[in-house]
Amino acid sequence: MAVLEEPIKEVLELKNYINGEWVGSESSQILDIVNPTTQQTIARVPMSTGDEVKAAVEAAREAFPDWRRTPPLARVRCLFRLKELMEENFERLSRVQTMEHGKTIDESRGETRRGIEMVEVATGIPSLMMGYSLEDIAAGIDEYVIYQPLGVFCHIAPFNFPFMVPLWYSPFALATGNTFIVKPSPRDPISQVKLAELIDEAGFPPGVYNLVHGGADAAGVLLEHPDIKGATFVGTSQIGRDIYKKCGETGKRAIVQGAAKNFMVVMPDVNIGGTIPALMTSFFGNTGQRCLSGANLVIVGQDDAFYRKFLNAFVEAASKIKVGYGLDESIQMGPMQSPDGKERVLGFIEKGIAEGAKLALDGRKPKIMGDYPEKCFLNPTVFENVTPDMTIGREEIFGPVASVMRAESLDAAINLVNASRYGNGNAIFTSSGKSAREFQYRVESGNIGINIGIVAPMAFFPFSGMKDSFFGVLHGQGRDAVRFFTESKVVIQRWL
Amino acid sequence: MALNTASEVISFARKLEEDSAGLYETLAERWPAAEETWLSFARENRKNIVQVERTYYGVISDALEGCFAFNLDADGYTFPAGLPEKTGYSDALGQAVAMEEKIIRFYSEAAEQSKSLMADVPRAFALIARKREGRIAALQSLPDR
Repeated sequence: MAVLEEPIKEVLELKNYINGEWVGSESSQILDIVNPTTQQTIARVPMSTGDEVKAAVEAAREAFPDWRRTPPLARVRCLFRLKELMEENFERLSRVQTMEHGKTIDESRGETRRGIEMVEVATGIPSLMMGYSLEDIAAGIDEYVIYQPLGVFCHIAPFNFPFMVPLWYSPFALATGNTFIVKPSPRDPISQVKLAELIDEAGFPPGVYNLVHGGADAAGVLLEHPDIKGATFVGTSQIGRDIYKKCGETGKRAIVQGAAKNFMVVMPDVNIGGTIPALMTSFFGNTGQRCLSGANLVIVGQDDAFYRKFLNAFVEAASKIKVGYGLDESIQMGPMQSPDGKERVLGFIEKGIAEGAKLALDGRKPKIMGDYPEKCFLNPTVFENVTPDMTIGREEIFGPVASVMRAESLDAAINLVNASRYGNGNAIFTSSGKSAREFQYRVESGNIGINIGIVAPMAFFPFSGMKDSFFGVLHGQGRDAVRFFTESKVVIQRWL
Repeated sequence: MALNTASEVISFARKLEEDSAGLYETLAERWPAAEETWLSFARENRKNIVQVERTYYGVISDALEGCFAFNLDADGYTFPAGLPEKTGYSDALGQAVAMEEKIIRFYSEAAEQSKSLMADVPRAFALIARKREGRIAALQSLPDR
């Protein structure tokens, strides 16, 4: 298969989008954005100054009163227009993601579709935002609740889903009448710039939506700023915990989604043929760089023959994965997003070997389809004989590495899952409803999969999380997001 | 050539539909007596492309097994793209029937492999396979020339 046409033809000089204008940064700190497959520079991004970040907050603060007074139906008409523009630019948006992140074109299109779905669900705000009432709470007295927007919200974005993750929040924030600032990951900010271009075209008033580039410093300015009413973040648990603490100190609402170590529990009654593709997607999709990725594969039961048969099928499928440029339609796994990410994964593999795990498949020497530098590439790696106390069984690797464990029984498997400090997206593969229900009931995890390897909630359900995978109360997406971005105001009235 | 990802299967389906539409348009030029039948097939092929692509682009998500849902051998479904100059009517009909059989097999096998992995996509494939089965009877019932 030929490589699809690249939509970025020359090095882009990225700007901030503040108050409806594209504004160049005064910063002298500029980072190169490198296509992780080809190693070519495709953009340059500024690390915005503190004043530039503050200018975005000021623009959003000033835009809020008018936007808040704009009727919900009029607000969502901007979102309907945005949705149409996203559909029209679907393929271009997807290919940009592949170029800046490395993921396959199927994965990028999936990300684009998910992003559009968030916009679609948020267009239901005229219904979703309705309050409720009760007359005669006492004779002649009525009570009702209305949901009101709060002001300026911000999102600090991760690199692993550069297009989709900010959209878990921004359409809901805008539809409910808030104004918004996104700070894309400095590693792959281009698709957020492309989205902001469409937002500009869709006719949102100036200042309602703003984009500022930057790293930790820019995030710090946003989190300290008194005019920011709430922040959303997706990233590591360590940084997430700090952000949650900072939001508590500064009186901000927060949705903080952290790291994960997800267990894929395979029961002996599983349909092996139907399960392997789901596990390949779970462990190696997005090159393992997602908080819903499978990390530990737990094969349940004392039947050695079943264990060996399942493991062999898993390893064989992993060994056949075609690795290369995601714009080649035949590619099943792209590179790591950065050389640092690759080095980090290699470090985990070394630790796995040193701590006594057995390499069933070694992906350190990448076999690449096509003539591309090895710099960010890995092939899938599978360890067996992993125990939960090993580093690779315990910590988030964020790369294409599977750690295989055994558990004597479902009970033992559930105990393994619950012993983890994380609780993001754990799954069971079984043909037994009883086992599935037991797993669903007892496992401490925000998202549970039953014969599903990637438990990604749809836009109309909350993206949940537990333990060190989530800090906050309300979640992104769906009704939770509507509640997060609004305050309940209760009115009790009596007319004399 | 192995087809493993949804993206390449959709592209391959598009190619099959375009190539077979091309054959029917050639048949319509050479044997205009059945022109309406040939051209209706070509038009339907283009609708099939729209249906398959709309379904794929409508459901593809980061949670689906898009990169791992298929293991098809493309060589098993390919057919000659054109019609040699001296081909007679009976042979041309035979070529069209053989082509339809290959395309039906492609859609049926793609649907079976991606069943429960690719949401609505396998249903779209199965629907097209069923529609195309009717074509074989239609082709075989055309008057001999």
